[in-house]
Amino acid sequence: MSSGFLYSIGEGLKGLRRAKFSSFVSIVTIFVSLVIIGLFVVFIFNVNLILNQIRSRMELELFIDNSFTNEQVEKLRSQILNVAGVDSVRYISKALAADIFKQEVGQDIFEILDDNPLPPSFQVRLKPEFQSSLKIEKISSQLTTLEGITEVLYRRDIIAILERYFRLFLMMSLGVGLMLAIGSVFLIYNTIKLIIFSRRSVIDIMKLVGATRAFIRRPFMVEGIIQGIIGGGLAALFFNLLSRIIKNNIPELIVGTQTVYALLIILGGLFGVVGSAFALRKFLKF
Amino acid sequence: MIQLSNVTAKYPGGEGIELVNLTVDPGEFVYLVGPSGAGKSSVLKVIYWDIIPQSGHVIVERFNSLNFKKSQIPYLRRKLGIIFQDFKLLMDRNVFENVAFTLRVTNRRRSEIKRKVLRVLAEVGLSHKRDKMPYQLSGGEQQRVAIARALINEPIVLLADEPTGNLDPEASDDIMQLIERINSKGTAILMATHDYRLVRAHRRKIVKIEKGMTRN
Repeated sequence: MSSGFLYSIGEGLKGLRRAKFSSFVSIVTIFVSLVIIGLFVVFIFNVNLILNQIRSRMELELFIDNSFTNEQVEKLRSQILNVAGVDSVRYISKALAADIFKQEVGQDIFEILDDNPLPPSFQVRLKPEFQSSLKIEKISSQLTTLEGITEVLYRRDIIAILERYFRLFLMMSLGVGLMLAIGSVFLIYNTIKLIIFSRRSVIDIMKLVGATRAFIRRPFMVEGIIQGIIGGGLAALFFNLLSRIIKNNIPELIVGTQTVYALLIILGGLFGVVGSAFALRKFLKF
Repeated sequence: MIQLSNVTAKYPGGEGIELVNLTVDPGEFVYLVGPSGAGKSSVLKVIYWDIIPQSGHVIVERFNSLNFKKSQIPYLRRKLGIIFQDFKLLMDRNVFENVAFTLRVTNRRRSEIKRKVLRVLAEVGLSHKRDKMPYQLSGGEQQRVAIARALINEPIVLLADEPTGNLDPEASDDIMQLIERINSKGTAILMATHDYRLVRAHRRKIVKIEKGMTRN
Protein backbone atom coordinates (compact mmCIF):
# COMPACT_ATOMS: atom_id res chain seq x y z
CA MET A 1 0.00 0.00 0.00
CA SER A 2 1.46 3.36 -0.97
CA SER A 3 2.24 6.00 1.61
CA GLY A 4 -0.12 8.32 -0.27
CA PHE A 5 -3.02 5.96 0.28
CA LEU A 6 -2.30 5.64 3.99
CA TYR A 7 -1.94 9.41 4.15
CA SER A 8 -5.41 9.77 2.58
CA ILE A 9 -6.94 7.46 5.18
CA GLY A 10 -5.18 9.38 7.94
CA GLU A 11 -6.36 12.69 6.50
CA GLY A 12 -9.90 11.35 6.20
CA LEU A 13 -9.90 10.37 9.87
CA LYS A 14 -8.38 13.71 10.86
CA GLY A 15 -11.02 15.45 8.76
CA LEU A 16 -13.73 13.81 10.86
CA ARG A 17 -12.11 15.16 14.02
CA ARG A 18 -11.37 18.61 12.60
CA ALA A 19 -14.90 19.14 11.36
CA LYS A 20 -16.77 17.52 14.25
CA PHE A 21 -20.00 19.42 13.77
CA SER A 22 -20.30 18.93 10.03
CA SER A 23 -19.40 15.25 10.41
CA PHE A 24 -22.13 14.98 13.00
CA VAL A 25 -24.64 16.64 10.64
CA SER A 26 -23.61 14.32 7.84
CA ILE A 27 -23.92 11.21 10.01
CA VAL A 28 -27.34 12.29 11.31
CA THR A 29 -28.55 13.00 7.76
CA ILE A 30 -27.52 9.55 6.60
CA PHE A 31 -28.99 7.96 9.73
CA VAL A 32 -32.36 9.70 9.32
CA SER A 33 -32.53 8.89 5.59
CA LEU A 34 -31.77 5.23 6.23
CA VAL A 35 -34.32 5.01 9.05
CA ILE A 36 -37.03 6.48 6.80
CA ILE A 37 -36.15 4.17 3.91
CA GLY A 38 -35.78 1.24 6.32
CA LEU A 39 -39.18 1.82 7.94
CA PHE A 40 -40.74 1.93 4.52
CA VAL A 41 -39.01 -1.29 3.44
CA VAL A 42 -40.08 -3.03 6.67
CA PHE A 43 -43.66 -1.95 6.04
CA ILE A 44 -43.65 -3.25 2.47
CA PHE A 45 -41.92 -6.45 3.50
CA ASN A 46 -44.50 -7.24 6.17
CA VAL A 47 -47.49 -6.40 3.99
CA ASN A 48 -45.98 -8.65 1.34
CA LEU A 49 -45.51 -11.37 3.93
CA ILE A 50 -49.16 -11.19 5.00
CA LEU A 51 -50.40 -11.20 1.41
CA ASN A 52 -48.27 -14.22 0.60
CA GLN A 53 -49.57 -16.03 3.63
CA ILE A 54 -53.11 -15.42 2.46
CA ARG A 55 -52.22 -16.62 -1.01
CA SER A 56 -50.48 -19.73 0.21
CA ARG A 57 -53.59 -20.69 2.17
CA MET A 58 -55.58 -20.72 -1.04
CA GLU A 59 -56.67 -24.24 -1.86
CA LEU A 60 -58.37 -25.99 -4.70
CA GLU A 61 -61.06 -28.42 -3.73
CA LEU A 62 -61.39 -31.42 -6.07
CA PHE A 63 -64.51 -33.51 -5.62
CA ILE A 64 -64.20 -37.18 -6.47
CA ASP A 65 -66.66 -39.57 -7.94
CA ASN A 66 -68.50 -41.28 -5.05
CA SER A 67 -68.03 -44.67 -6.59
CA PHE A 68 -64.24 -44.57 -6.70
CA THR A 69 -62.41 -47.30 -4.83
CA ASN A 70 -59.43 -46.64 -2.58
CA GLU A 71 -57.07 -47.87 -5.27
CA GLN A 72 -58.58 -45.56 -7.82
CA VAL A 73 -58.31 -42.68 -5.35
CA GLU A 74 -54.61 -43.42 -4.81
CA LYS A 75 -54.04 -43.51 -8.54
CA LEU A 76 -55.86 -40.23 -8.91
CA ARG A 77 -53.70 -38.69 -6.15
CA SER A 78 -50.53 -39.53 -8.01
CA GLN A 79 -52.02 -38.18 -11.22
CA ILE A 80 -52.82 -34.88 -9.46
CA LEU A 81 -49.32 -34.68 -7.97
CA ASN A 82 -47.93 -35.01 -11.48
CA VAL A 83 -49.72 -31.87 -12.65
CA ALA A 84 -47.24 -29.02 -12.92
CA GLY A 85 -47.62 -26.50 -10.10
CA VAL A 86 -49.23 -28.84 -7.57
CA ASP A 87 -47.42 -28.68 -4.24
CA SER A 88 -49.38 -31.02 -1.97
CA VAL A 89 -52.55 -33.05 -1.94
CA ARG A 90 -54.65 -33.95 1.07
CA TYR A 91 -57.36 -36.58 0.83
CA ILE A 92 -60.64 -35.83 2.59
CA SER A 93 -62.62 -39.04 2.85
CA LYS A 94 -66.39 -39.10 3.18
CA ALA A 95 -66.05 -39.70 6.92
CA LEU A 96 -63.59 -36.83 7.35
CA ALA A 97 -65.88 -34.56 5.30
CA ALA A 98 -68.68 -35.42 7.72
CA ASP A 99 -66.42 -34.53 10.66
CA ILE A 100 -65.53 -31.20 9.08
CA PHE A 101 -69.23 -30.61 8.43
CA LYS A 102 -69.92 -31.25 12.12
CA GLN A 103 -67.17 -28.83 13.16
CA GLU A 104 -68.34 -26.11 10.80
CA VAL A 105 -72.09 -26.49 11.10
CA GLY A 106 -72.20 -27.77 14.67
CA GLN A 107 -74.56 -30.63 13.85
CA ASP A 108 -73.98 -34.22 12.91
CA ILE A 109 -75.01 -34.86 9.32
CA PHE A 110 -76.46 -38.27 10.27
CA GLU A 111 -78.94 -36.54 12.54
CA ILE A 112 -80.37 -34.78 9.50
CA LEU A 113 -79.96 -37.39 6.83
CA ASP A 114 -79.73 -41.16 6.87
CA ASP A 115 -76.90 -41.23 4.48
CA ASN A 116 -73.68 -39.19 4.11
CA PRO A 117 -74.09 -37.23 0.86
CA LEU A 118 -70.73 -35.48 1.14
CA PRO A 119 -68.41 -36.65 -1.62
CA PRO A 120 -64.76 -37.44 -0.91
CA SER A 121 -62.37 -34.76 -2.08
CA PHE A 122 -58.77 -33.68 -2.45
CA GLN A 123 -57.47 -30.40 -1.05
CA VAL A 124 -54.76 -29.26 -3.40
CA ARG A 125 -52.16 -26.61 -2.55
CA LEU A 126 -50.13 -24.98 -5.28
CA LYS A 127 -46.50 -23.97 -5.39
CA PRO A 128 -46.03 -20.22 -4.69
CA GLU A 129 -45.03 -19.43 -8.26
CA PHE A 130 -48.32 -20.94 -9.54
CA GLN A 131 -50.58 -18.84 -7.35
CA SER A 132 -51.66 -16.26 -9.89
CA SER A 133 -55.24 -16.33 -11.12
CA LEU A 134 -54.21 -17.19 -14.69
CA LYS A 135 -52.14 -20.16 -13.64
CA ILE A 136 -54.74 -21.39 -11.18
CA GLU A 137 -57.30 -21.25 -13.96
CA LYS A 138 -55.07 -23.35 -16.18
CA ILE A 139 -54.31 -25.93 -13.50
CA SER A 140 -57.98 -26.07 -12.56
CA SER A 141 -59.07 -26.90 -16.10
CA GLN A 142 -56.29 -29.47 -16.35
CA LEU A 143 -57.48 -31.14 -13.17
CA THR A 144 -61.08 -31.16 -14.35
CA THR A 145 -60.12 -33.44 -17.23
CA LEU A 146 -58.83 -36.16 -14.91
CA GLU A 147 -61.09 -39.15 -14.70
CA GLY A 148 -63.00 -39.28 -11.46
CA ILE A 149 -62.92 -35.56 -10.73
CA THR A 150 -66.44 -34.28 -10.72
CA GLU A 151 -65.81 -30.65 -9.83
CA VAL A 152 -63.00 -28.23 -9.03
CA LEU A 153 -63.72 -25.34 -6.65
CA TYR A 154 -61.62 -22.40 -5.51
CA ARG A 155 -62.13 -18.77 -4.43
CA ARG A 156 -61.69 -16.99 -7.73
CA ASP A 157 -62.94 -13.69 -6.28
CA ILE A 158 -60.44 -13.49 -3.43
CA ILE A 159 -57.52 -14.32 -5.68
CA ALA A 160 -58.54 -11.69 -8.19
CA ILE A 161 -58.98 -8.99 -5.52
CA LEU A 162 -55.68 -9.87 -3.89
CA GLU A 163 -53.93 -9.68 -7.20
CA ARG A 164 -55.42 -6.39 -8.19
CA TYR A 165 -54.63 -4.71 -4.87
CA PHE A 166 -51.24 -6.24 -4.58
CA ARG A 167 -50.22 -4.92 -7.96
CA LEU A 168 -51.51 -1.46 -7.06
CA PHE A 169 -49.76 -1.63 -3.71
CA LEU A 170 -46.51 -2.74 -5.32
CA MET A 171 -46.60 0.08 -7.85
CA MET A 172 -47.39 2.67 -5.22
CA SER A 173 -44.65 1.45 -2.94
CA LEU A 174 -42.16 1.42 -5.80
CA GLY A 175 -43.04 5.03 -6.55
CA VAL A 176 -42.85 6.14 -2.93
CA GLY A 177 -39.67 4.14 -2.39
CA LEU A 178 -38.01 5.71 -5.39
CA MET A 179 -38.99 9.18 -4.22
CA LEU A 180 -37.64 8.46 -0.75
CA ALA A 181 -34.36 7.14 -2.14
CA ILE A 182 -33.90 10.11 -4.47
CA GLY A 183 -34.82 12.51 -1.66
CA SER A 184 -32.33 10.88 0.69
CA VAL A 185 -29.51 10.90 -1.82
CA PHE A 186 -30.23 14.54 -2.60
CA LEU A 187 -30.30 15.45 1.08
CA ILE A 188 -27.02 13.67 1.72
CA TYR A 189 -25.45 15.16 -1.39
CA ASN A 190 -26.42 18.66 -0.30
CA THR A 191 -25.17 18.20 3.22
CA ILE A 192 -21.82 16.92 2.00
CA LYS A 193 -21.64 19.70 -0.57
CA LEU A 194 -22.06 22.31 2.14
CA ILE A 195 -19.38 20.62 4.20
CA ILE A 196 -16.95 20.51 1.30
CA PHE A 197 -17.82 24.10 0.42
CA SER A 198 -16.70 25.12 3.90
CA ARG A 199 -13.37 23.46 3.19
CA ARG A 200 -12.83 24.68 -0.34
CA SER A 201 -9.78 26.69 0.73
CA VAL A 202 -8.03 23.42 1.61
CA ILE A 203 -8.97 22.06 -1.82
CA ASP A 204 -7.68 25.24 -3.48
CA ILE A 205 -4.36 24.98 -1.66
CA MET A 206 -4.08 21.30 -2.56
CA LYS A 207 -4.61 22.17 -6.22
CA LEU A 208 -2.06 24.94 -5.98
CA VAL A 209 0.73 22.75 -4.69
CA GLY A 210 0.21 20.15 -7.39
CA ALA A 211 -2.09 17.56 -5.87
CA THR A 212 -3.82 15.34 -8.39
CA ARG A 213 -7.61 15.05 -8.49
CA ALA A 214 -7.44 11.54 -7.08
CA PHE A 215 -5.27 12.69 -4.22
CA ILE A 216 -7.66 15.52 -3.31
CA ARG A 217 -10.70 13.29 -3.55
CA ARG A 218 -9.46 10.41 -1.45
CA PRO A 219 -9.60 11.93 2.05
CA PHE A 220 -13.11 13.24 1.38
CA MET A 221 -14.19 9.84 0.10
CA VAL A 222 -12.72 8.17 3.17
CA GLU A 223 -14.63 10.65 5.32
CA GLY A 224 -17.81 10.01 3.35
CA ILE A 225 -17.50 6.23 3.75
CA ILE A 226 -16.81 6.47 7.47
CA GLN A 227 -19.69 8.88 8.04
CA GLY A 228 -21.96 6.62 5.98
CA ILE A 229 -20.95 3.49 7.86
CA ILE A 230 -21.49 5.21 11.21
CA GLY A 231 -24.89 6.52 10.01
CA GLY A 232 -25.77 3.04 8.72
CA GLY A 233 -24.56 1.43 11.95
CA LEU A 234 -26.77 3.75 13.98
CA ALA A 235 -29.72 2.95 11.72
CA ALA A 236 -29.00 -0.78 12.21
CA LEU A 237 -28.96 -0.20 15.97
CA PHE A 238 -32.27 1.64 15.71
CA PHE A 239 -33.89 -1.27 13.86
CA ASN A 240 -32.40 -3.77 16.28
CA LEU A 241 -34.00 -1.91 19.20
CA LEU A 242 -37.27 -1.51 17.31
CA SER A 243 -37.22 -5.20 16.49
CA ARG A 244 -36.82 -6.11 20.16
CA ILE A 245 -39.68 -3.85 21.19
CA ILE A 246 -42.00 -5.11 18.45
CA LYS A 247 -41.11 -8.76 18.98
CA ASN A 248 -42.57 -8.56 22.48
CA ASN A 249 -45.85 -7.12 21.22
CA ILE A 250 -46.42 -8.38 17.68
CA PRO A 251 -44.13 -11.39 17.20
CA GLU A 252 -45.40 -12.04 13.64
CA LEU A 253 -43.83 -8.85 12.30
CA ILE A 254 -40.29 -9.02 10.99
CA VAL A 255 -38.38 -5.78 11.59
CA GLY A 256 -34.70 -6.54 11.76
CA THR A 257 -32.56 -9.39 10.54
CA GLN A 258 -28.79 -9.71 10.22
CA THR A 259 -29.16 -9.12 6.48
CA VAL A 260 -31.10 -5.91 7.07
CA TYR A 261 -28.41 -4.61 9.45
CA ALA A 262 -25.65 -5.46 7.01
CA LEU A 263 -27.56 -3.82 4.17
CA LEU A 264 -28.12 -0.65 6.19
CA ILE A 265 -24.42 -0.36 6.92
CA ILE A 266 -23.45 -1.04 3.30
CA LEU A 267 -26.09 1.39 2.02
CA GLY A 268 -24.86 4.02 4.49
CA GLY A 269 -21.29 3.66 3.24
CA LEU A 270 -22.53 3.80 -0.34
CA PHE A 271 -24.58 6.94 0.31
CA GLY A 272 -21.57 8.56 1.95
CA VAL A 273 -19.15 7.76 -0.82
CA VAL A 274 -21.50 8.54 -3.71
CA GLY A 275 -22.62 11.78 -2.03
CA SER A 276 -18.99 12.83 -1.56
CA ALA A 277 -18.05 11.92 -5.12
CA PHE A 278 -20.88 13.99 -6.60
CA ALA A 279 -20.34 16.91 -4.26
CA LEU A 280 -16.61 16.94 -5.03
CA ARG A 281 -17.15 17.11 -8.76
CA LYS A 282 -18.32 20.67 -8.32
CA PHE A 283 -15.14 21.76 -6.57
CA LEU A 284 -12.66 19.79 -8.60
CA LYS A 285 -13.20 21.29 -11.98
CA PHE A 286 -9.67 21.22 -13.21
CA MET B 1 12.02 28.79 -19.65
CA ILE B 2 8.75 30.73 -19.38
CA GLN B 3 7.41 32.31 -22.50
CA LEU B 4 4.08 34.04 -23.11
CA SER B 5 3.48 34.90 -26.77
CA ASN B 6 0.50 37.10 -27.69
CA VAL B 7 -1.54 35.62 -24.90
CA THR B 8 -5.17 36.63 -24.69
CA ALA B 9 -7.27 35.32 -21.84
CA LYS B 10 -10.56 37.01 -21.10
CA TYR B 11 -13.15 36.36 -18.41
CA PRO B 12 -16.80 36.30 -19.43
CA GLY B 13 -17.13 39.92 -18.22
CA GLY B 14 -14.54 41.08 -20.76
CA GLU B 15 -11.73 41.63 -18.25
CA GLY B 16 -8.48 39.78 -18.50
CA ILE B 17 -5.32 40.09 -20.56
CA GLU B 18 -4.77 40.73 -24.22
CA LEU B 19 -1.78 40.03 -26.45
CA VAL B 20 0.58 39.68 -23.52
CA ASN B 21 4.24 38.93 -24.27
CA LEU B 22 6.66 38.01 -21.55
CA THR B 23 9.71 35.84 -21.03
CA VAL B 24 11.42 34.74 -17.86
CA ASP B 25 14.83 33.15 -18.30
CA PRO B 26 16.42 30.76 -15.81
CA GLY B 27 17.58 32.60 -12.70
CA GLU B 28 16.05 35.88 -13.84
CA PHE B 29 14.16 38.31 -11.57
CA VAL B 30 11.24 40.00 -13.31
CA TYR B 31 8.80 42.52 -11.88
CA LEU B 32 5.35 42.62 -13.32
CA VAL B 33 4.10 46.06 -12.40
CA GLY B 34 0.86 47.86 -12.94
CA PRO B 35 -2.09 49.33 -11.08
CA SER B 36 -4.70 47.17 -9.35
CA GLY B 37 -6.94 45.42 -11.84
CA ALA B 38 -4.43 45.77 -14.69
CA GLY B 39 -4.22 42.00 -15.15
CA LYS B 40 -1.09 41.09 -13.18
CA SER B 41 -2.74 38.18 -11.39
CA SER B 42 -4.21 36.97 -14.68
CA VAL B 43 -0.71 36.76 -16.16
CA LEU B 44 0.39 34.59 -13.26
CA LYS B 45 -2.78 32.52 -13.58
CA VAL B 46 -2.14 31.67 -17.23
CA ILE B 47 1.34 30.54 -16.21
CA TYR B 48 0.05 28.11 -13.58
CA TRP B 49 -2.86 27.09 -15.79
CA ASP B 50 -5.60 28.47 -13.64
CA ILE B 51 -6.79 30.20 -16.80
CA ILE B 52 -6.20 28.78 -20.26
CA PRO B 53 -5.55 31.37 -23.00
CA GLN B 54 -8.07 31.79 -25.80
CA SER B 55 -5.24 32.67 -28.14
CA GLY B 56 -1.47 32.80 -28.09
CA HIS B 57 0.49 30.32 -26.06
CA VAL B 58 2.23 29.88 -22.74
CA ILE B 59 5.30 27.70 -22.49
CA VAL B 60 6.67 26.61 -19.13
CA GLU B 61 9.56 24.24 -19.74
CA ARG B 62 8.05 21.18 -21.43
CA PHE B 63 4.46 22.34 -20.81
CA ASN B 64 2.77 24.20 -23.66
CA SER B 65 -0.74 25.62 -23.26
CA LEU B 66 -1.48 24.64 -26.85
CA ASN B 67 -1.33 21.01 -25.72
CA PHE B 68 -3.32 21.70 -22.58
CA LYS B 69 -4.63 18.68 -20.69
CA LYS B 70 -6.41 18.96 -17.34
CA SER B 71 -4.54 15.93 -16.07
CA GLN B 72 -1.22 17.76 -16.61
CA ILE B 73 -2.08 20.70 -14.30
CA PRO B 74 -0.73 19.11 -11.09
CA TYR B 75 2.55 18.20 -12.78
CA LEU B 76 3.04 21.73 -14.12
CA ARG B 77 2.34 23.21 -10.70
CA ARG B 78 4.94 20.99 -9.08
CA LYS B 79 7.51 22.83 -11.17
CA LEU B 80 6.35 26.19 -9.82
CA GLY B 81 6.35 27.87 -6.43
CA ILE B 82 3.44 30.22 -5.91
CA ILE B 83 2.87 32.76 -3.14
CA PHE B 84 0.05 35.21 -2.58
CA GLN B 85 -0.79 38.37 -0.71
CA ASP B 86 -3.10 36.42 1.63
CA PHE B 87 -0.55 33.60 2.25
CA LYS B 88 -3.14 30.80 1.74
CA LEU B 89 -2.00 28.68 4.66
CA LEU B 90 -3.97 25.81 6.15
CA MET B 91 -5.10 27.33 9.42
CA ASP B 92 -5.70 23.98 11.11
CA ARG B 93 -2.13 22.73 10.66
CA ASN B 94 1.11 23.87 12.18
CA VAL B 95 4.03 25.41 10.28
CA PHE B 96 5.77 22.07 9.69
CA GLU B 97 2.61 20.46 8.33
CA ASN B 98 1.81 23.42 6.09
CA VAL B 99 5.17 23.05 4.40
CA ALA B 100 5.21 19.24 4.44
CA PHE B 101 1.81 19.23 2.75
CA THR B 102 3.36 19.97 -0.64
CA LEU B 103 5.54 16.88 -0.42
CA ARG B 104 2.79 14.69 0.95
CA VAL B 105 0.69 15.27 -2.15
CA THR B 106 3.53 13.83 -4.20
CA ASN B 107 3.85 10.68 -2.10
CA ARG B 108 7.33 11.35 -0.69
CA ARG B 109 8.81 9.23 2.06
CA ARG B 110 8.40 10.40 5.62
CA SER B 111 12.14 10.66 6.23
CA GLU B 112 12.63 12.72 3.08
CA ILE B 113 9.76 15.02 4.00
CA LYS B 114 11.22 15.66 7.45
CA ARG B 115 14.69 16.39 6.11
CA LYS B 116 13.50 18.72 3.38
CA VAL B 117 10.99 20.61 5.51
CA LEU B 118 13.53 21.27 8.25
CA ARG B 119 16.05 22.48 5.68
CA VAL B 120 13.66 24.86 3.96
CA LEU B 121 12.35 26.17 7.29
CA ALA B 122 15.97 26.96 8.21
CA GLU B 123 16.33 28.80 4.91
CA VAL B 124 13.39 31.10 5.69
CA GLY B 125 14.43 31.42 9.34
CA LEU B 126 11.50 29.65 10.93
CA SER B 127 13.01 26.44 12.33
CA HIS B 128 12.18 27.50 15.87
CA LYS B 129 8.51 28.08 15.02
CA ARG B 130 7.85 24.79 13.26
CA ASP B 131 5.25 23.71 15.85
CA LYS B 132 3.33 26.98 15.87
CA MET B 133 -0.06 27.38 14.24
CA PRO B 134 -0.38 30.06 11.51
CA TYR B 135 -2.54 32.29 13.72
CA GLN B 136 0.28 32.42 16.26
CA LEU B 137 2.60 34.03 13.70
CA SER B 138 2.97 37.60 12.43
CA GLY B 139 2.05 38.45 8.82
CA GLY B 140 5.70 38.42 7.75
CA GLU B 141 6.23 35.03 9.36
CA GLN B 142 3.14 33.62 7.68
CA GLN B 143 4.48 34.76 4.32
CA ARG B 144 7.78 33.04 5.15
CA VAL B 145 5.86 29.81 5.73
CA ALA B 146 4.18 30.28 2.34
CA ILE B 147 7.58 30.87 0.74
CA ALA B 148 8.98 27.75 2.41
CA ARG B 149 6.05 25.78 1.05
CA ALA B 150 6.64 27.22 -2.43
CA LEU B 151 10.36 26.42 -2.33
CA ILE B 152 10.25 22.90 -1.03
CA ASN B 153 9.75 21.35 -4.47
CA GLU B 154 12.78 23.26 -5.74
CA PRO B 155 10.73 25.14 -8.35
CA ILE B 156 12.19 26.59 -11.52
CA VAL B 157 10.42 29.84 -10.77
CA LEU B 158 8.73 31.51 -7.81
CA LEU B 159 5.52 33.25 -8.88
CA ALA B 160 4.77 35.95 -6.32
CA ASP B 161 1.42 37.75 -6.47
CA GLU B 162 1.76 40.94 -4.38
CA PRO B 163 3.68 39.06 -1.69
CA THR B 164 4.14 42.15 0.46
CA GLY B 165 0.63 43.53 -0.06
CA ASN B 166 -0.54 42.65 3.44
CA LEU B 167 2.68 43.50 5.27
CA ASP B 168 4.05 46.60 7.01
CA PRO B 169 7.15 48.21 5.40
CA GLU B 170 9.58 46.50 7.75
CA ALA B 171 8.13 43.04 7.15
CA SER B 172 7.97 43.81 3.42
CA ASP B 173 11.69 44.56 3.36
CA ASP B 174 12.41 41.31 5.19
CA ILE B 175 10.38 39.34 2.64
CA MET B 176 12.06 41.16 -0.27
CA GLN B 177 15.46 40.33 1.13
CA LEU B 178 14.43 36.70 1.45
CA ILE B 179 13.14 36.65 -2.15
CA GLU B 180 16.39 38.26 -3.36
CA ARG B 181 18.37 35.61 -1.51
CA ILE B 182 16.30 32.85 -3.10
CA ASN B 183 16.94 34.41 -6.50
CA SER B 184 20.65 34.63 -5.84
CA LYS B 185 20.69 30.86 -5.37
CA GLY B 186 19.36 30.39 -8.90
CA THR B 187 15.56 30.31 -8.64
CA ALA B 188 13.88 32.63 -11.13
CA ILE B 189 11.34 35.09 -9.71
CA LEU B 190 8.28 36.60 -11.36
CA MET B 191 6.77 39.08 -8.95
CA ALA B 192 3.55 40.97 -9.54
CA THR B 193 3.34 44.21 -7.58
CA HIS B 194 1.85 47.67 -7.67
CA ASP B 195 4.37 48.90 -5.09
CA TYR B 196 6.80 51.08 -7.10
CA ARG B 197 8.76 51.74 -3.89
CA LEU B 198 9.89 48.09 -3.93
CA VAL B 199 10.71 48.18 -7.63
CA ARG B 200 12.88 51.23 -7.17
CA ALA B 201 14.65 49.78 -4.14
CA HIS B 202 15.44 46.47 -5.84
CA ARG B 203 16.22 47.24 -9.47
CA ARG B 204 15.48 44.37 -11.86
CA LYS B 205 13.86 43.65 -15.21
CA ILE B 206 10.43 45.31 -15.32
CA VAL B 207 7.41 44.41 -17.41
CA LYS B 208 4.57 46.89 -17.19
CA ILE B 209 0.98 45.87 -17.62
CA GLU B 210 -1.90 48.28 -18.11
CA LYS B 211 -5.49 47.48 -18.97
CA GLY B 212 -4.53 43.89 -19.62
CA MET B 213 -1.73 44.67 -22.07
CA THR B 214 2.02 44.49 -21.55
CA ARG B 215 4.50 47.25 -22.31
CA ASN B 216 8.22 46.77 -22.03
